Amino acid sequence: MNDRLGFSFSGSLGSAIPFLCGVLAAIIANVPISFLGGLVPSPLLAFMPVYFWCLVRPDLMPAPAALALGALDDLLSGGAMGIWALSFVVSYTLIDRERDAFAGLSGLGAIIGFGAAMLVTEVTAFLVVAATHATFPPAGPFLLQAVTTILLYFPGLSLLNLVHHRFIGALRSDF
Amino acid sequence: MANGTWKIARGKGSPQLSIAIVAVLAAVLVVLGRAQSTLFDRARTYFSDATAPMLEAARGPVNAIGHWVGGMGQIFVVYSENQKLKEENAKLRQWQNAALVLEQRLKRYQLLLNAVQDPTLSSVTAHVIGRANRPFLDTMILDAGKNQGVKPGESVVDDRGMIGRIYLVGQHTAWVVLLTDLSSRIPVAVEPGHIQAILSGDNTTAPGLETSRPGVVLKIGQQIVTSGDGGLLPAGLPVGTVTWNGSEFRAALLADATEADDVRILDLRQAPEQPPTPAAGDLPVVAGGIQPLVQTPNTSPNAQVKPLQLPAGVAPPLSQQQMEQAKAAAKAGAATAPTPAEDDH
Repeated sequence: MNDRLGFSFSGSLGSAIPFLCGVLAAIIANVPISFLGGLVPSPLLAFMPVYFWCLVRPDLMPAPAALALGALDDLLSGGAMGIWALSFVVSYTLIDRERDAFAGLSGLGAIIGFGAAMLVTEVTAFLVVAATHATFPPAGPFLLQAVTTILLYFPGLSLLNLVHHRFIGALRSDF
Repeated sequence: MANGTWKIARGKGSPQLSIAIVAVLAAVLVVLGRAQSTLFDRARTYFSDATAPMLEAARGPVNAIGHWVGGMGQIFVVYSENQKLKEENAKLRQWQNAALVLEQRLKRYQLLLNAVQDPTLSSVTAHVIGRANRPFLDTMILDAGKNQGVKPGESVVDDRGMIGRIYLVGQHTAWVVLLTDLSSRIPVAVEPGHIQAILSGDNTTAPGLETSRPGVVLKIGQQIVTSGDGGLLPAGLPVGTVTWNGSEFRAALLADATEADDVRILDLRQAPEQPPTPAAGDLPVVAGGIQPLVQTPNTSPNAQVKPLQLPAGVAPPLSQQQMEQAKAAAKAGAATAPTPAEDDH
């Protein structure tokens, strides 16, 4: 396993990196401090690793991991449980079914692909919130969060690429 | 990069079945989250308690950045804003005087009528150490919890009006659901007229107003205060004013939760803290060592005189026997020296 990784990480630790990235992203996004005075909702950072590794290494980001990251996001955000968990799983299902189409995108197309997945996540969350609260919440904040997250995916993608190349990339096609 | 350059790794087994099971689990989690939220709430309070020192440390610089970024748009209206605030301040001073006079008058009327007194409120002042702003969620975290006597359901106010209610309490942190939050519902009264209504948050800056009586017509600018129905919130807390957004009446809140740094948590049930009763030695006459010019003897047979606890260096008052001796000495002195009254003539 070590030669697959090309590093001294054990196999379990190396394969846990995508999930740990998701955990870290969830914590960062949910540190309840607003830099913009509450003007925009917190971005959904935890969805970036889910989307990225669901495309390139679904074996390292299985559906239960997406569920766990969504649940962690729910837990840390202080809202009702299960909203992001279900939204992540629904998006994961879409990405899994259309993986070839999504993975074939490059450059700006990759961002658009992420945007599409993000919209599915937000729409799902919107519908779950509407169902659980028995009222339709305003759609604006959901869209604003989607836009913020998509904009942050530009630097986020570079960071995820770096992590992937540095720690995981060597064995991406061996499965 | 997530593009065509990757060779996609495929997992073994049946991924579709796995996803279906996970989807069912996620749906169960949604239901469980609604039905059994206590378990998850406890985890949240542990998290906020554990991260409170870090949030407290980050509060100052982050708030400064937030206020700076948020206030950038107001740089160009500082002068006019300042003039407006000065005028408002002058008006408020007049109102403050009027309020003080009316408060005293109200107290006198209540005494005359032997009316039930309004409940007195105890409060805990807390710092805002965090804010969670999600599309369907508007909460803040305070640095006061069970250790400071904070309890769920208590109202949170700033110097302008009500901000929200406590919904989760850790050992030294508490989560506040803001009035703008999607799940916030509080009973309010629209004044004048004491029109009962429900203030419903929907994650917009102006929560909705639902009057409980059909056919009631509200007017723009009417005051909204808490009604106190249900006994959870104190009555009469200022909330906002009635506005019209073109299709329905809403509430323009007085308090700005995004700007609040220090807030008060009001406890309706806990008696307010009373200052300790001053000891005899703390009283100004005794503490200053001032003796009365004329001692009046206690004539009541049931009265019991409690000896005063005097601070060191203060002379004790004369005893009855010493007083008699002093009077006798005074009479003896009067025989030789004229009294002031005699002197006048």
